[in-house]
Amino acid sequence: MAVYKRTYKPYAGPLTTPILRFLVVQRYAFNTVSKSRLLNTGYVACFIPVIFVICALYLNQNASVLGLVGQHPGFMKIDGSFFMNILGFQGVLAGILTAFIGPSLVAPDLVNGSLSLYMSRPISRAEYILGKGAVIGALAGAITLLPALLMFFVQSSLVGWNWMLNNIYLLNASVFVCSIIIAIFTLLGLAMSALVRWKIVAGALILAVFAIGKGFGAMIDNVMRTNSGNYLDLQTLIQIVAMDMFHTTPQSTEYVPVWSAWVALIAICGLLLFILNRKLRVCEVAG
Amino acid sequence: MQQPHIELEDLRVTLGKREILHGLNLQLRGRTVGLLGPNGAGKSTLISTMLGFWKPSAGTARVMGFDVRTEARQIRSLIGYMPENDSFIANMPAISFVRLGAELSGLPAEQALERAHEALFYVGLGEARYRKLGAYSLGMKQMAKLAQAIVHGPKVLILDEPTNGLDPQARTRMIKLIQEMRELGTMHIVVCSHLLRDIEETCEEAVILKAGNIVHHSNLEEERAANKRFVEMETEGDDGTFADAIGKLGCVCSVTAGKIRTVLPEGIEIRDIYRLAADRDIQLRRMNYRRDSLEDIFLKAMERREEPVNGSL
Repeated sequence: MAVYKRTYKPYAGPLTTPILRFLVVQRYAFNTVSKSRLLNTGYVACFIPVIFVICALYLNQNASVLGLVGQHPGFMKIDGSFFMNILGFQGVLAGILTAFIGPSLVAPDLVNGSLSLYMSRPISRAEYILGKGAVIGALAGAITLLPALLMFFVQSSLVGWNWMLNNIYLLNASVFVCSIIIAIFTLLGLAMSALVRWKIVAGALILAVFAIGKGFGAMIDNVMRTNSGNYLDLQTLIQIVAMDMFHTTPQSTEYVPVWSAWVALIAICGLLLFILNRKLRVCEVAG
Repeated sequence: MQQPHIELEDLRVTLGKREILHGLNLQLRGRTVGLLGPNGAGKSTLISTMLGFWKPSAGTARVMGFDVRTEARQIRSLIGYMPENDSFIANMPAISFVRLGAELSGLPAEQALERAHEALFYVGLGEARYRKLGAYSLGMKQMAKLAQAIVHGPKVLILDEPTNGLDPQARTRMIKLIQEMRELGTMHIVVCSHLLRDIEETCEEAVILKAGNIVHHSNLEEERAANKRFVEMETEGDDGTFADAIGKLGCVCSVTAGKIRTVLPEGIEIRDIYRLAADRDIQLRRMNYRRDSLEDIFLKAMERREEPVNGSL
């Protein structure tokens, strides 16, 4: 079917591996997202704190520099709290990033019914979600998990293998906590994008889930004098799990047990997945 | 005998608690098949079922030999689907949109891009291929939908209301494209339309659905050939016996509103009617070989009670 002939000819060439077909969805979604200059600039800015932290880790072990300010190497304690604080900050940035990119992932496919075109191809709903989610996952992972791994290995190389072996739990905790953050943000971003087709509203809603949840949670705790409000506060739930994994002391006693925070997070992920799946199911058939 | 490309066996589809398709039996072998029926007849449900969007509640449906229940993925890789509704990503250029479709169907990126260019040129959007779909006219969007449906070289092409909202010129172009693809013979085409003229101009077979049942399934070419034996006459000076005389020739004959309609059996020709009229001194004021149009077939099917037809040709 050469262009100049302007005639139709069937295709008889090779086909790509079906199992990796979701990467097509991911690539096209990523191309759409990366067109925004504001987002690109903001995203690059997300790495600036990481650079400062890496520099601080280096300086923390540099006797000559520390000597100038009258400090000894290791004055800054690199432990679970340190990792948690950095991840907490990067997590907030990942949340803002999700609010920016989440709405432009699914909504454009629902506005003009193009979802039915995706679904009439040899690709499943799960692969579609995986492809779209991979965009948030990869971007959020690069500003949360990557800095955590970088911090761990830089500190290990500066202090020594003993530190690495003694603090291997920081590596495990970083991977687990970042995975939770990425999963929650990815599902939240996609579900809100599927629910609300107006990008600005969907973005605001993603941030509102955190703010309103926190507000309602605090209100329930105060009025009913319980800790049950924690279940509505996504940030606190992640924090409870993170504190446990990073072996840090809770700043307050008003937290629900760790196991129930895990259950709540899994339930929230399940709920978001259910909403997403249901919304996509309706749109793929109705067009 | 050629294998059917679409095969339905007692296909029942239930949405919620309501059964939409009531045990359809059908075997489609023709290159182009028209799917007709009033709103709510079950056309879209049938298409959705063939695409694997709905699972049959009973019975089976097979497309190119693959079962819709268990092999939806294989079916989707063989199907090109042009939906009735708007289906586009507004801020995406047509070339990227069509390429995306090709890549989702499994074409490697380079081939997908090449095919996307070719498909867009083929449907007449070559010069507008870098424009965003949101800026396209309705007719151009229809053509872009067709391009994405054919870009990967499907074995079965499903066109849902392909001429919807097109001006006469664009409609002619769309019909011509469908006819061209039919003549190439490399794919089976299912055209779902409310416009009987579209089906008449493009299809070899017609399936008429009514309230979830197939009420008519025929080969249009054969119907046309058979209907050439249909004659309609207006007479002057007939005392009412002319119809009886025609009947005695062995013709099935009916008289309504002063018009005599008859079907000539083998061995009886028009000159026999002229001779009969001359013998009785009856003037034949008008005589038509009246081809039974698809509209007549459709209307008859709609009047018919909802008795399912076993659709195999």
